[in-house]
Amino acid sequence: MALSTHTTPSGFLLPSIHSAPPFFTHQPNQSTHAHLTEQWMRLILTYARHKRLFILRVEDAEVPGGDWDKILRNERINRQIPPSYLSSLMAALVVKNLAVYELAKQTHAVLLHWHLPEEWAGVLHSWATATGQLNTILTFYEISDPPIPSPLSCILIPLLRRAITILSRSNRAQIIGVADGEGVRFFVG
Amino acid sequence: MGSSQSTPKVTAHDRAILDLKLQRDKLKQYQKKIQVVLDREHEIAKAHLATGQKDRAVIALRRRKYQQSLLLKTDSQMENLEQLVSTIEFSLVEVSVLHGLKQGNEVLQEIHREMSIESVEKLMDETQEAREYQREIGDLLANRLTHDEEDAVQAELLALQGEAVSTSCRTLFYSFSHDI
Repeated sequence: MALSTHTTPSGFLLPSIHSAPPFFTHQPNQSTHAHLTEQWMRLILTYARHKRLFILRVEDAEVPGGDWDKILRNERINRQIPPSYLSSLMAALVVKNLAVYELAKQTHAVLLHWHLPEEWAGVLHSWATATGQLNTILTFYEISDPPIPSPLSCILIPLLRRAITILSRSNRAQIIGVADGEGVRFFVG
Repeated sequence: MGSSQSTPKVTAHDRAILDLKLQRDKLKQYQKKIQVVLDREHEIAKAHLATGQKDRAVIALRRRKYQQSLLLKTDSQMENLEQLVSTIEFSLVEVSVLHGLKQGNEVLQEIHREMSIESVEKLMDETQEAREYQREIGDLLANRLTHDEEDAVQAELLALQGEAVSTSCRTLFYSFSHDI
């Protein structure tokens, strides 16, 4: 059976294994299961990086029409991933520290780390340096929703906060709090 | 150095700036909300026109117009806020420039205190005296040598003159002897 790759309308190349029906079911064989889990994790993270998606929910497997449709479903072979399999994939991602549960004590949604928080910290600092915003006070909203698209557009606030905490440990950032909200100031580091 | 430099303290100025920026963010979010309402009213008006209810469409459009005027007002308020924020940031820059100038001035004054005018004058006078003394000695030595060289030169001149006379006598003698 010849497997083929497929390109989504947004330009993302789906691997050939995505066209194989067994990819979408939980395999009983341990080594196959481990191999397929590995493939799924890589696929999810690459797609998230391509489309800048941060959250993956179990509902995305149940309800069509979301951002993850192209990955979680394959209409050409009429297969889709069952929510239980997706849930176990999310657990595997969390175990490997490639994702965290979005709110603690629940397992419905994960925040994906297609960049590790340390990498985000580096991106954040180099963006601040490049736009000449060192030593100025910035609000979190300003960073995640800048008027000019930046590598940090649409980053989720908890992830932003984690990256800033990493920077503050090496004295490259400082969080400032007032009654209404929080801000951050970056320094040369 | 043992400890690394810690981050500068958060001053009241910083908090004021942060407050202003947070207000600006609130205005931006409000504008986004109004834009959403605008678009929705537009759709509602179109839907009413499609069903032939012209008066309801007009009402929806009037609501939309009112939201647009709100949007314009918040635009001008945001402009004010942003101007205030940039003025504050600019004045902070000015303060640091002044501070730098003051420090530079102080350093210059300290250097001048070390180099007083009197001590410089005294130094220059002493140098002048030493230079004149040196020149005198040089002249003396130069004169002595020149005298010696002068004597040698005179002696050479006499010798040359003597040679020249004897050569001319010999040529004269030869010419006389050949003429005979």
